[in-house]
Amino acid sequence: MTKKTPVFDYLNCVSCGICAQACPVSALGMKREGKSGKYRNVFPELVNDKCIGCGSCARACPMEVIRMEDAGDES
Amino acid sequence: MTSFMGKVLRVDLGAGTAESVEIPAQIYEAVLAGKGLEAWYLYNHIPAGADPLGPENILAFAAGALCGTGAFLTGRWSAACKSPLTGGWGDANCGGLFAPAIKQCGYDAIFISGIAEKPVYLFCDGKTAELHDASPYWGLDATEAEKALHRELDGVCRKKPCVACIGPAGEKLSLISGVCNEGGRIAARSGVGAVMGSKKLKAVVLAGARPLPCHDPDRVKALSRELGHKLLKMTLPTGLGVFIGAGGAMMGHLPNIPLDGAMTAYMFREWGTQANTSLAITSGDGPIRNWGGTPRDVRLMEAVYNPEHINRIETAKYHCYSCPLGCGGRLNIRGRKHVSFDETHKPEYETIEAFGPLLMNWSLDSIFQLNELLNRAGMDTISAGNTVAWAIECFDHGILTPAQTDGLYLTWGNTEAILKLVEKMIAREGFGDALADGVKRASERFGGKEYAMHIGGQEPGMHDARNDPQLGIHFVAEPAPGKHTVGMNIEYGAMSLCDICSWAPPARLHAKEKDFEDTEEMALISKANACYTMLVDGAGGCYYGQMMGVHTWKLVDWLNAAEGWDYDGDHYMEIGERIQTLRQLFNVKQGVDPRSFKLPKRMLGEPPLPHGPLKGVTLEQHRAQVSSHWRAFGWDDKTGVPLPETVKRLGIDKLTEAEP
Repeated sequence: MTKKTPVFDYLNCVSCGICAQACPVSALGMKREGKSGKYRNVFPELVNDKCIGCGSCARACPMEVIRMEDAGDES
Repeated sequence: MTSFMGKVLRVDLGAGTAESVEIPAQIYEAVLAGKGLEAWYLYNHIPAGADPLGPENILAFAAGALCGTGAFLTGRWSAACKSPLTGGWGDANCGGLFAPAIKQCGYDAIFISGIAEKPVYLFCDGKTAELHDASPYWGLDATEAEKALHRELDGVCRKKPCVACIGPAGEKLSLISGVCNEGGRIAARSGVGAVMGSKKLKAVVLAGARPLPCHDPDRVKALSRELGHKLLKMTLPTGLGVFIGAGGAMMGHLPNIPLDGAMTAYMFREWGTQANTSLAITSGDGPIRNWGGTPRDVRLMEAVYNPEHINRIETAKYHCYSCPLGCGGRLNIRGRKHVSFDETHKPEYETIEAFGPLLMNWSLDSIFQLNELLNRAGMDTISAGNTVAWAIECFDHGILTPAQTDGLYLTWGNTEAILKLVEKMIAREGFGDALADGVKRASERFGGKEYAMHIGGQEPGMHDARNDPQLGIHFVAEPAPGKHTVGMNIEYGAMSLCDICSWAPPARLHAKEKDFEDTEEMALISKANACYTMLVDGAGGCYYGQMMGVHTWKLVDWLNAAEGWDYDGDHYMEIGERIQTLRQLFNVKQGVDPRSFKLPKRMLGEPPLPHGPLKGVTLEQHRAQVSSHWRAFGWDDKTGVPLPETVKRLGIDKLTEAEP
């Protein structure tokens, strides 16, 4: 079975944190530091190996900047 | 499907029980969730005459209707109870992550009564709700307690828990204490922390992971996306903050100009609320020297509180749940004078004003320290600042002596003394103990009542009614008096409420003098402002979303999409009116006379200020304006009590019969 993992389009992410809170296993955290235009900001990223590939984050994201992609085979 | 969970969690700390209770759909239709649900439940369930710090008082935590739907700026949670500070309705509101956490446990609200025998915390993961021993955490400050609870539970729970807790101020029943989450963000007002402390409830820990319902999530998200793309393009040039003080000085002489609400989004994204400090110092909006001073007393202080100084040490923006704006921020304050912490949340305007110009304190660094100290203690910075200002003025007039202040020389701008006094207030030590219950109690004990700035027992937010008389109406007509977040003329000008509400007057360019007159138009404006604020609170919306205006932050469209309704703005404004009337009825039930909420003489312009933008300003028609505001609400214009026909028109009589 192929496991899915979230991939983020940070350019259009507004750092609202809806995805991280939607994650049922807290695999996402607003921990990635970067810039939004000129502003220093935080963005979502996987912070542990708990991701179950459920896609809750992608469904919750209002900006539609999360894509679920194959993470490789999981036996 | 709607966005409501349809249930609340009812906890009795005395009996050690927790039960899930279904809420009829008609209640949500009438008052939404958030503050509306709290108003309905507390009005029905707190008996008249209940001791605010006794077992009969109920402490409520609620999320708003739109929380979790994908609507932006709807992550506020509300704490409500009978206030020990005012004896009437009390509520406070906060951002962070706690609001969605309530709903992810399967509830719209949590209602907690009784008193535990020993310190406990409430744990809920959506399947079970249990009380656990909180003895190891009792005595820790709010930030350390939150960290300790995470250490204990993070590995145990599938979902990382969200924690709302009290600090030492709440534990020691300080009447100006609040409830914290997210490392020091605080629902600060009305003494909600003291109520939590009186129940020996250290924390509420939520680790539910339920998906949150919404009627039309695609439509809700499309509306959010439109706003998100707008915000991504919003940037102000760096360094512009240096001109804000000059802008404020100019505003003092300009008429009221309706502005595009989106402008507030630019300001909050660039600087956060602290952008208002230098503007408030020069425009007359912000109080100086315990509300008795003028910009001349703090000449050039706007340069000290230039928002660019704070931007320079911001390490990253802080966003509450569902907020694309990020008005918060984390600051690196390591090694600064007076500072013992490494970092702090960006101080809000209210905090900077309350410990800066209000006390004639020129040390921005000390405000970082005070901000972190008070956030960790869980003490309201607005109330604490007003109380310290009273103490300094009393000391100035010889009402207080060093023998009474534990040797502290409480002179204006004495940063060291201010820091020590606040530490004493938090620890309830010596003279600080007397100040930890706010300015009303302190002045009753020591005298100097003429310098005690409070309305019905609660200290006012840092905006002057002499600058904005509508604020004066809300300071006294609001069931939780002294709150600054109900309505202002500048905000009304930005919101364009007339575009969603048939009876809301349009915002027009006009001379400031008109705002001071008792007119039907002014009464409708203040009513519209209050109704919309209550609606926003029922939806769980943020004040700064509200200030963006109805064309940028589309509350009505979001609500219709999230609930599957097709109501117009008038219908929603009536929901706001219902919530506000329920809150007023709560006060009437508890024996609080609405007429007893009065502006301090100083804020009425007695005596008038000698110079500055508010020179000679008096609020002669203020009481008449309040009467007209009551009348516009369908409340008795002499007593402020909602009239029976209003209660009937709003269907409140039927709602109060619907027992959960």
